[in-house]
Amino acid sequence: METNAPFTVLCVDDEAIGLQIRKALLEHAGYHVLTALSGVEGLVIFESSPVDLVLLDYLMPGMNGGEVARRMRAVRSEVPILMHSACVDLPADVRELVDDVLSKGEGPEALLHRLRQVLEAALKRGM
Amino acid sequence: MNLEEFQRILRQAFLVPVLALLALAGILLWQITDAQKAQRWLDQSDEVSAEIAELESLIMDQETGLRGYELTGDPGMLAPYKTAAPLITNHFASLRQMISDNPAQQANLSRISERYQAWLAFAGGVLTRPAALTNSGLDRRGGELMAGTRSAIRQMTQTEARLRQARLENTILLERREITVLLSGTLLVGLLLGFFSLSRLHRVSTAYRQSLALLDKRREKLRTILRSIGDAVIVCEADGSIEFMNPVAEALTGWPEDEAAGHLLGEVFHIVNEYTNEVAENPVEKVRRLNKVVGLANHTVLIARSGSRHVIDDSAAPILNQQGELVGIVLVFRDVTEKRRVETALAASEKLAVAGRLAASIAHEIHNPLDSIGNLHYLLAQETDPSRRAEYLELAQQELDRTLQISRSLLNLYREPNAPVQVNVAEMIGSVLLLLKRRLDNQGIKVAQHSADNVAVEGFPAELRQVLTNLIINAADAAGANGKIHVRSYAAQAEEFRGTGAIIEILDNGPGIPAEIGPKLFQPFFTTKGNHGTGIGLWISMGIVQKHGGAIQIGNSTDPEYPGARVWVYLPAHTMATSFSRSTPYIG
Repeated sequence: METNAPFTVLCVDDEAIGLQIRKALLEHAGYHVLTALSGVEGLVIFESSPVDLVLLDYLMPGMNGGEVARRMRAVRSEVPILMHSACVDLPADVRELVDDVLSKGEGPEALLHRLRQVLEAALKRGM
Repeated sequence: MNLEEFQRILRQAFLVPVLALLALAGILLWQITDAQKAQRWLDQSDEVSAEIAELESLIMDQETGLRGYELTGDPGMLAPYKTAAPLITNHFASLRQMISDNPAQQANLSRISERYQAWLAFAGGVLTRPAALTNSGLDRRGGELMAGTRSAIRQMTQTEARLRQARLENTILLERREITVLLSGTLLVGLLLGFFSLSRLHRVSTAYRQSLALLDKRREKLRTILRSIGDAVIVCEADGSIEFMNPVAEALTGWPEDEAAGHLLGEVFHIVNEYTNEVAENPVEKVRRLNKVVGLANHTVLIARSGSRHVIDDSAAPILNQQGELVGIVLVFRDVTEKRRVETALAASEKLAVAGRLAASIAHEIHNPLDSIGNLHYLLAQETDPSRRAEYLELAQQELDRTLQISRSLLNLYREPNAPVQVNVAEMIGSVLLLLKRRLDNQGIKVAQHSADNVAVEGFPAELRQVLTNLIINAADAAGANGKIHVRSYAAQAEEFRGTGAIIEILDNGPGIPAEIGPKLFQPFFTTKGNHGTGIGLWISMGIVQKHGGAIQIGNSTDPEYPGARVWVYLPAHTMATSFSRSTPYIG
């Protein structure tokens, strides 16, 4: 992995407007952003494209974030996953499965900060 | 003594005297017939004697005629002789018939006949000779023959006289016996009937006394039961005056029974509307007017003699006799002040529980746009390109609108107007589904909604939303993961027992309602959801629908696409509900 190339973040969320804004925020912060509007779509992209980090919503119709994370782990377990949800009662097994959990509404600085932390931790693991 | 036995005694009391009198009449009839028979024999003897006397007189006439002829030779003197001859033959014949039952008299008659024939033969000889040749010798012979005849006649007369005497004695004897039998029979039957009636009467009166005692005991027991009963009971006469009060009624009204007795109910039982203090209709008047069991109006407060107030639930029922006439009124009521407080608290807690069930999904709904707004604010602070800034501002406005819409839906669950308002049914269903969307999505429930436009009802929107939220969550829980539900609404036509309004139906494709739990669905604290349900959702829903004057039914669906449960709710276009109406159901 080349450190000077932008990191690729896969954003999965069923809220189209929120996803669009989050993409703008992350791109503004220098990331390369892929988006998916459902868990199934996110899995397809995850399997076909190189991804450095997954920013995953939990409550989605059809397949929820927990299930998506489990399947991604089965494909490439080294890719870090940051669960980013407004859900207040996230199941404990999902919390354990992902690298970190961030509540929606904590603000963009918190999001960018945690994203960097998770990436750095993953890079450290990879060395 | 049971009724059957009593009727048997009644039958006996009727039949026995009739039979005894019939028997007595039979015996008397037999006696009278005997006496009559004896009398007839006596009469017969008299007839025989008269006949004999007649015969003798005729024979004497013949002899007189013959003798006249012998003395004078004048054939004219023979007229009596000739006239008597056929009559004598007739009398012999009739006599023979009359004494056909008596051989002794028959012998006597035969002797008379023989001797008369002998005399007749002599007379024939006299008549064949010329009158001049008569002599005294011949005459003497005729006299002897006649004397024999007459002695035979006398003997027969005497025999008949003796027979008559015997028959007379027999008749007298029979008459005496008749009187004896009449007197003794009457006496005997009278005595028998007297004793019989006494014994029957004794049995009946004993049984009657026992019945009275039993009745008394039952009456006392009934009073004891009424006294021990936990509800207040007042019994009134048909005119409304108090006849009985139990201790609970005494405590609630503040009137002791002996003091209240005879007073009109209205003087003791003061009831007013809980909120307006208007005097409520006297239940006795209401029963008299409607002649059926009546319940109290909502929110009735009983004001005791001391002025203390108790919210009561009551019913009054007519007491009818067997002819269906009103003979009294019984009033049963209870203090429900505490119960009403508990129910109000329960209804409030259910309202909070609905909010609790929605809190997580609402937080999610609000956090999503808030997150976006935070991000946009961050971007706006750093962005200088005006077109990008305009785009961000537009997006921020959209997300703000969404937040407002959700918070308004949430507030609508609580904010309630003071009087019923027009509620558009389709809009109401839409806004409830909006609040529930996240939760239903998360459960993987597909919702189909078909609402007819422009269907409106009158009511309290927050309460109606609470009902809908409850029913939709129930349907989603029943449908299970990846299930589907159908919410539809349409205008309700006026029918016999309801006016126009709206019908809302909620169908699911779950397992349906098992027959055994159907009747329990609307009971408080009944739940099929274990610890996840409070068990009062449907109970409260029913109360709210009832308050609006609507109806709610739960059954199984016949729609092949949604084969599970079907909830049917009717809401009237115009409601009588006020903000004072209770939201807890009337059940039972």
